[in-house]
Amino acid sequence: MSLREQAAADLTTIVEDTDGFGWPITVTAPDGTSADLVGLSSDIAQTIDPDTGQAVSGRHAHVFLRLSSLTTAGLGIPRGIADAGSDPWVVTFDDIDGTEHSFKVMEALPDRAIGGVVCLLEAYKT
Amino acid sequence: MSQITTLIDKQDNVELIRDEIASILAVEQQNQQALATADGQDPDLWKLRVYRERSNPWAEFQPAPESPVDDVSPIVNVWFDTESFDESRSNTVRNQHATATYNIDCYGYAKSESDPGGGHKPGDREAALVSQRAARLCRNILMAGHYTYLGMRGVVWKRFPRSIETFQVPIDNRNAIKVVDTRLALLVQFSEFSPQVEPVELELLSVTVRFEEDGSVIAQTDFDYTAE
Repeated sequence: MSLREQAAADLTTIVEDTDGFGWPITVTAPDGTSADLVGLSSDIAQTIDPDTGQAVSGRHAHVFLRLSSLTTAGLGIPRGIADAGSDPWVVTFDDIDGTEHSFKVMEALPDRAIGGVVCLLEAYKT
Repeated sequence: MSQITTLIDKQDNVELIRDEIASILAVEQQNQQALATADGQDPDLWKLRVYRERSNPWAEFQPAPESPVDDVSPIVNVWFDTESFDESRSNTVRNQHATATYNIDCYGYAKSESDPGGGHKPGDREAALVSQRAARLCRNILMAGHYTYLGMRGVVWKRFPRSIETFQVPIDNRNAIKVVDTRLALLVQFSEFSPQVEPVELELLSVTVRFEEDGSVIAQTDFDYTAE
């Protein structure tokens, strides 16, 4: 096994281990196909202004999913949908208290070298 | 030794004008809602929540509130930015001619949502439209002929919009919530006043001046005083 393949295998352990930081995430494609996956998620309400280095108000949410898990579920790679006439990719997950939150995928940053995708999320009302 | 004998307990006109701008917006948006209702239109499209001198009034949008359960109407924050003085139009003793800039920030928020008719309503677009609608309302109210002097004739000389600009409030466009600010910068020219010396009567003096035939000028007066 090459070092890169070893890294991809480690990624599976890190991302999809529900005894670790892996978290149940439901992904719904624009065509309505949906799958329950495990990945990393975050939803925080403070960010750093790169110009000043100061913490400022904001809300950043993202998920990290393995590409192979998305492919196996028949979903493909999520992406931002600008066309208002189309449904967006929708991601749903609970916060630590069990409250469900829905987001649309605003922007996707796939990493095909190691096999993962970061989805930047925007609050969404289904 | 101090010279000013009166308490300076007044507000400067720059503050009064800021409050007046906020008051005008609050009153007129309420009336616009009433007019919209009477016209059979949705009054929420004319609703503004007016604040003054707030640094982060849009923070309530961070949990991503949803209409109609939550109030997501635009937030307007009126704040004083700068004031400069024109010496050539001022009186060095009594009043200073000032030009102040007031920023009227119109924060629009929208949450992306599924469209029952198909597709979805993008939050970024909707937030921009809400913000610009609020700014449109503010400019029309403040530039209405009824408010040529912002209700402070004699103090305010002129009010005029300097610029309108739009920007996304969160520091980048990757935020999970979409809040857009349309800033109306309003220039107001007015006079600022300062404490004055209050004149007091020291002594009543009566002088009679006579021109004599020999050309001399004689001033005659009586002093009534008590020697100490």
